Amino acid sequence: MLLTNYILSAWRNIIRHKLFSAINILGLAIGLAAVMLITLFVRHEINYDNFWANSQNIYRMHMTFLPSGRPPMVFSMVAGPIIHVIKKDFPQIQHAARVARKRATIIKGDQYFEEQISLVDPAFVKIFDFKTITGNLGKALDDQSSLILNKTLADKYFPQGNAIGQTLTINADAFEREFTVAAIMENMPENSQVNVAAMVSIVEEEWSELEWMFASWFSVNTHLYYSVNPGTNIKDVNAQMPSFIDRNFPLQDSGDAVSGFVELNSQNIEELHLKAPGNSEHREKGSITTVLIFSAVAALILIIASINFMNLSTARASQRAKEVSLRKVMGASRQKLVAQFIGESVFLTLFALLVSMAFVELALPSYNQIIGKQLSIDYGSSDLLMIVGLSATVGILGGIYPAFILSSFRPADVLKANKSAETSASVKLRAALVIFQFAASISLFVSTTVVYGQMLYAKNIKLGFEQNNLLVINNLYRDAADIKLALLVNEFRQMPNISSVTWSNDAPGIHTENNTSMRTPEMPSSESSLIGVRGVGYEYFKTYNIDLLSGRFYGISQNDTRAETIEIREGRGHASSLIINETGLRRLGLGTPEEALGKILYRSVGNEGENLEREHLIIGVVPDIHLNSLKKEIRPEIFELQPDHAQYISIRYSGDPLETVNLARELWEREVPSIPFTYDHAVDSVDKQYKAEQGEMTMFAAFSSLAIFIACLGLYGLASFTAERRTKEIGIRKVMGASVFDVVKLLVWQFSKPVLIANLIAWPVSYYTMTMWLESFAYRIESFFILGFCLAAGVAALLIAWATVASNSIRVANTNPINALRYE
Amino acid sequence: MLKLQDLTKAYRTDEVETVALNNVNIEIDHGEFVAIMGPSGCGKSTLLNIVGMLDTPTSGHYYFKNEDVAGYSEAQLGVIRKQHIGFIFQSFNLIDELSVAENIELALLYHDIPASERKERVATVMDKVGIAHRAKHMPSQLSGGQQQRVAVARAVVGNQSMILADEPTGNLDTAHGQEVMGMLQKLNEEGTTIVMVTHSPSHADYARRTINLLDGHVVTESMRA
Repeated sequence: MLLTNYILSAWRNIIRHKLFSAINILGLAIGLAAVMLITLFVRHEINYDNFWANSQNIYRMHMTFLPSGRPPMVFSMVAGPIIHVIKKDFPQIQHAARVARKRATIIKGDQYFEEQISLVDPAFVKIFDFKTITGNLGKALDDQSSLILNKTLADKYFPQGNAIGQTLTINADAFEREFTVAAIMENMPENSQVNVAAMVSIVEEEWSELEWMFASWFSVNTHLYYSVNPGTNIKDVNAQMPSFIDRNFPLQDSGDAVSGFVELNSQNIEELHLKAPGNSEHREKGSITTVLIFSAVAALILIIASINFMNLSTARASQRAKEVSLRKVMGASRQKLVAQFIGESVFLTLFALLVSMAFVELALPSYNQIIGKQLSIDYGSSDLLMIVGLSATVGILGGIYPAFILSSFRPADVLKANKSAETSASVKLRAALVIFQFAASISLFVSTTVVYGQMLYAKNIKLGFEQNNLLVINNLYRDAADIKLALLVNEFRQMPNISSVTWSNDAPGIHTENNTSMRTPEMPSSESSLIGVRGVGYEYFKTYNIDLLSGRFYGISQNDTRAETIEIREGRGHASSLIINETGLRRLGLGTPEEALGKILYRSVGNEGENLEREHLIIGVVPDIHLNSLKKEIRPEIFELQPDHAQYISIRYSGDPLETVNLARELWEREVPSIPFTYDHAVDSVDKQYKAEQGEMTMFAAFSSLAIFIACLGLYGLASFTAERRTKEIGIRKVMGASVFDVVKLLVWQFSKPVLIANLIAWPVSYYTMTMWLESFAYRIESFFILGFCLAAGVAALLIAWATVASNSIRVANTNPINALRYE
Repeated sequence: MLKLQDLTKAYRTDEVETVALNNVNIEIDHGEFVAIMGPSGCGKSTLLNIVGMLDTPTSGHYYFKNEDVAGYSEAQLGVIRKQHIGFIFQSFNLIDELSVAENIELALLYHDIPASERKERVATVMDKVGIAHRAKHMPSQLSGGQQQRVAVARAVVGNQSMILADEPTGNLDTAHGQEVMGMLQKLNEEGTTIVMVTHSPSHADYARRTINLLDGHVVTESMRA
């Protein structure tokens, strides 16, 4: 049978041409494995929140502030009161619900635990179809003392499986009450920006003292989700937002329309993972850029591997010319030959597929670790079909051109002269494809070095504070800990190996946007600037090793405490000390650090419409300090003394970190037993900001190396075939007096040309794309470094290409010419 | 010019030793035209390869211009070869990717000769063999006779004192064969030593001396009057 003959012929071809087969199978297998890994990642990233029954009609609103003189500030959260008016103004909205997360202590008997509690409006479970295990979610949320747990938490607190009807006490500072477990739901899937483990309904009255949480129009602390009637165009909703804002937000004293500096927009829930603005997500966000970049890398790898296949097939075409001719003489039609060759290439690809699956399974554990996901191939599902389909496509695409070249040979020519059966067009195409492969590889190489260079730069940039040997203790915001602040700080100061202790509202890597409006005496209040505020304790600058540019730090004996709002309201205010950063000096036009000392600033305080201002006196100026990611530009900032409250205690220690941690833990557990002891090393928190990038970089570097490796495999194969094809020429040259070196030079130069041309293509492309990529960093390496990386990549590619073809060339150059010349 | 003394060449493959040349003694003077004849497998080509320094003898001596080159390395032989010896092959052995002029220039390329002089010498020799009008053509566009004329031009362009021709007419028809033989004769008359392997007795007649080989031995040497 013809088919058997084809399969036999294909199989024998694989066996006989081991080098060709090995290069093709290995190259394709690595390529397919890389593509599968990337596809798993991309598929995971683009399939967030599409599993909800109504996902097409679920939206989340985000809020943007447009302060004058500063870039817009976008928040993924919105002001709490919006929910109360939105349904009235937008009839197309079916359900709307807020969700806010709070770290809370769960008390069961005499045991204390810490959990993230989601405070939601009852409609939350009408928008999202959570999978219920027991109980009724809607009823549970209608009852203010009911608690919904997911399976993990239900099992954690009630291992006997009798959670329903049991009680737990929740302390979230604003309230401490007993809740009854009323429903249990399945754990949420990983691929959702909604991340709920324990739910209770919002009781706004409990938060009356913390009005910013749910009641303030200009504080953003809750996500707002809503579902709309099918067929609603979200653009219409977004377009009506400015008038909605002006109708509902409190009027400004200045008479300015609120829509002039506040924007509300909504995004479909499926878009949130990759495209949501702002930072306050309940689950880590993805990046559309990353998804696009990796999709492109996958496509490049696949193309590079397919090109290998095409090039090697056409390169050894002359070897098979005889077989083709004989088959034609025996009556094979061109279509049949095309089918045979495509079949062969599909056969080879499917073989490569088996190898690649082994690669994927081997790589998945470390891959998952690097990207921080739990990805896997489900062979029982359509995954398998997709993979086989992908491979077959590659096989057909890679095989179609060689098939037409091979099948076009005319038997008379081939059998008569046994000449090189190749046309110059196919030689040129091959050269073009090699150029493409190397251009792609070099671009990937440059991109990798730029990404790596930027990471290195970010790691080594002077942060302005000493991140090592700095321990940050969390959870001070909890009431039970806050009241012990002074005691804790004093105790810590007594401990061995601790040189200084301070407290603050922010910690390295923690980003809470706290801003205030400030002006110099010369500015009218309408022109005041938005300035970032960091509340700090005594010895803050000493503990963080922050230099002083001028003036002095806060001191206990200096009477630096600020005038409270109530004192100002009663006319008893006094000039309060203030330390400002350099960007702040520039923003407010305060001159040099020396000139700024003793100058007065006004800061608005009190409630809306009170027009109260606190008078501040600049006592010190510090440099710009990178307490947050380098992606963020430094804000104009003030460091305000906050004597009795804090979110964090920071400890500067020497010696064994573990010892310090243990001492701190002992003290904490003795003094604040109801709140778990948690801490971070500042250096880890700083690193954590770049964790996603670091994972992506590792991935990027790995895939770039693979691409280069596959391209080199192809080059190696091509070099060996070309050397074979050129044996006669080399023989002649040697007879004419060419030395081994002359011949090696000739062959190596042949393969240097495409690499050099590839550089000319790759350099501008990578320069352009990487310059754009770098623009997402506020603090970045200079663009001209990219040129250096281009040069390095070019030289590296050339060296790699040389190394790849050299061994072959030397072998060929050393063969005795008479073997090549005696007979044709 | 050259003298082979007790020259032996044996090929060893897996324990089987094939003797291609056995105690060959030949002396060729400067300016001679020698034909080597014999049946297939008698060692003609081996002999030519050793004389052409493309191969080395297993034992014996090879004096080239009174210098025993038998023990020389490939690189040393290469230096002498490119200085003194030109080659003509049965299958022409032109490089398909190079034009006629470039093929001829190849013989000068690995000598230290400036480009302008190379061009000049290539032009001269092309005139001499009557191929100048085909200078830019590729070998595949030429007839067999024309290709062999290019090969002859390549063999002499470096002013080599000796030309080794391995069945130069083997792939040519009678008329073209005559033409190439005429060219070789003319070169010989101008002083070039020629050693030619041939199957054709009529072409061997162009030589003044014929050496007959059989199974690696010189069986007869005949001089033409």
